[in-house]
Amino acid sequence: MSAKEAAGDGEIPRVDALVVGAGCAGGVATLRLAKAGCSVVCLEQGDWSELAEFPAPRPEYELLIGREWANRPSLRGRAADYPIEESDSDIEALMWCGVGGSLIMYAGDWCRLRPSDFRVRTLDGVADDWPFTYGDLAPHYEKVDIEFGASGLGGDPSLPPGADPPHPPLPIGPAATRVARAHAQLGWHWWPGTNSVLSVPAGGRRVCAQWSTCQHGCPEGAKASTDRTHFPEAVEHGAKLVTGARAHRVVLDGRGRATGVEYLLPDGSEHRQRADVILLAASAIGTPRLLLLSATPGSPDGLANGSGLVGRRLMMHPFANVCGYFDEDLRGWNGHWGAKIVSYEFYETDASRGFVRGAKWSLYPTGGPLSAAVPTNPQVAPVWGSGHHRFVRERLGRGVNWGIFGEDLPDPDNRVTLADGLTDSSGLPAPKLTYRLSEEARRLLEFNVERAEESFLAAGARHVERQSLVRDAGWHPLGTARAGKDPSSSVVDGWGRSHDVPNLFVVDGSVFPTSGAANPASTIAAFASRAVDHLIAERTNQKVPV
Amino acid sequence: MSAWRDRSGLADGAREKLAELAELMIPAASGMPSAGEVGVAGAQLDRVLGVRPDLREPVLRALSNTEPTGQLLANVEATDPEAYVALCLVIAGGYYMHPEVRRRLGYDGQEPDEVRAEIIPGYIEKGLLEPVLAQGPRFRAAPDETDRSRKADG
Ligand SMILES: Cc1cc2nc3c(=O)[nH]c(=O)nc-3n(C[C@H](O)[C@H](O)[C@H](O)COP(=O)(O)OP(=O)(O)OC[C@H]3O[C@@H](n4cnc5c(N)ncnc54)[C@H](O)[C@@H]3O)c2cc1C
Repeated sequence: MSAKEAAGDGEIPRVDALVVGAGCAGGVATLRLAKAGCSVVCLEQGDWSELAEFPAPRPEYELLIGREWANRPSLRGRAADYPIEESDSDIEALMWCGVGGSLIMYAGDWCRLRPSDFRVRTLDGVADDWPFTYGDLAPHYEKVDIEFGASGLGGDPSLPPGADPPHPPLPIGPAATRVARAHAQLGWHWWPGTNSVLSVPAGGRRVCAQWSTCQHGCPEGAKASTDRTHFPEAVEHGAKLVTGARAHRVVLDGRGRATGVEYLLPDGSEHRQRADVILLAASAIGTPRLLLLSATPGSPDGLANGSGLVGRRLMMHPFANVCGYFDEDLRGWNGHWGAKIVSYEFYETDASRGFVRGAKWSLYPTGGPLSAAVPTNPQVAPVWGSGHHRFVRERLGRGVNWGIFGEDLPDPDNRVTLADGLTDSSGLPAPKLTYRLSEEARRLLEFNVERAEESFLAAGARHVERQSLVRDAGWHPLGTARAGKDPSSSVVDGWGRSHDVPNLFVVDGSVFPTSGAANPASTIAAFASRAVDHLIAERTNQKVPV
Repeated sequence: MSAWRDRSGLADGAREKLAELAELMIPAASGMPSAGEVGVAGAQLDRVLGVRPDLREPVLRALSNTEPTGQLLANVEATDPEAYVALCLVIAGGYYMHPEVRRRLGYDGQEPDEVRAEIIPGYIEKGLLEPVLAQGPRFRAAPDETDRSRKADG
């Protein structure tokens, strides 16, 4: 497939494929298409990041991550971000807008859903099955493990057998070793975390230098993000990445086929890109927003929304945090952030717990002196005056966190809509989140918080602090354009193709029918890989309409 | 120093009040310097506000509280939580950014320390994974998983 010039639409060039969003899914899709010889343009509202601009080495680091380098776009308020109306949401969304997408900020905890996650309706009688199985996705998990450079230890019995991660595991450090010993004694599952962070140099990227600042940009480039792992190669293969390009409408022709995307540049100028096939990869908040913005008099509820589900079934992985403090200095600030070790002990359903589904645990560091002095957990008051230095010494380097990611089942009332009156820097309506945590998910979190406390006490912790449902921890928005077989109850099919608009695809975290409880980036990447490989194969066979 | 005072529109008193308060919040003890000794209300304050200009307004609001310094913090905490957090961040932020404070704490968190993957992990040597492996598969089998002849569906 080669680049074509516009037919009948002025001077606007037409390409084989247009990708919206240069994040996790957008990177996989753009590279795969470019390598297959397609002419491809990717529109990204943000810009490239330089390693040198990340705040890790700066003494002001801990202050900067509260504002300019915060995970929450509403706090950062950069022109490339869009604000999010969140007053009706129990959880605030976190993301990054720029080349690499939220991977610029993610922790690099690189894990897979489990087989049961794809069969929730069949096994537990709730929510829905996915339109494909773990086995169908497994080859793509293995492909993206290589593309992103996963470091980990093979043989985890909480997963079906398969290829080992391509690189050896990162060191887990003294705190995690203590907790691992406790789990070995308790008979509870634990495994060294697999992280998309290099333990050995690879692909021209450096090895992890244990800054512990993964969630605010990796200054080594050791953490995989598509601005390093995918886009440079995609550009070498001829892909065109347009930064600062904010897509605001997918345009249809009279036959109901997508013809292109209209976008705005930061100077306010309007542009249009035509394409045979359009792939949305703008995240589970950005993609439904764009589909809703693309409403026309003929489809007033938004594009590709015959099911009425665009924007609905938002899932966020409710997150709880349990911190164990120990007597000795465990250098708790050191190492990669993602997961030192993980536990899937309470991942699968056990109906005797009073809820179905489960949670995934990741052990991660505690941060530097400012967070020791002024805890982010609102239930822990700082100590001032004569006790201050003791308070800090007992915390700094001596704590380690169990991060608990709970599964939240899809609820059509939890959703992304367009906000009234709040706009981004281009004047486009911002997304609004409506999200209420179910009672069942609350019980699930509470149960896991109690078990995590037991884990730390078994490991010899002197003191444990809990935070059930952390509000500003919406790192995993999912599910707002769900995949499924039935056009009346899903937005796209299992290959990401819209049931309503045959040359429109969604390949990002929006497609998840259920959330599972494992961090989603590797599943998002694997879904995009599977969908785009299929698209390329079908186009080669001339099955996709042009 | 003066930039903050000028832009704040407050007299010198605000910075002095902050200095007094900071000294009460972080006194010299346990081998650590006091807030005043490392210039929390001086150069450190300017550095903090340089990267967190959003803290200026709530901190000035806190300092406009007329309670005597001894009671000011508790009063602000009770009446204006946002200003309280800003005050804590400005004082602790400036203090813990100071190199001497970091040295005495032994904090080297923001220095590169490259991973050496060739070192055999202690958990392998100590056999900590053996009990996990001994339990066998821990995932729940899902229908269709074994039927690889089934045509993968969209
Ligand atoms: C702080 C943090 C920590 C995380 N940690 C982990 C982790 O450890 N492990 C894990 O698996 N996951 C983690 N995640 C989640 C993970 O990063 C996301 O699930 C993943 O990046 C989502 O991929 P995506 O392709 O759906 O969207 P994104 O990667 O977010 O990419 C979407 C891109 O689309 C662009 N875009 C949106 N709208 C438009 C528009 N209208 N026009 C043009 N461009 C647009 C955005 O600017 C963005 O660059 C974390 C996320 C955050 C924020």
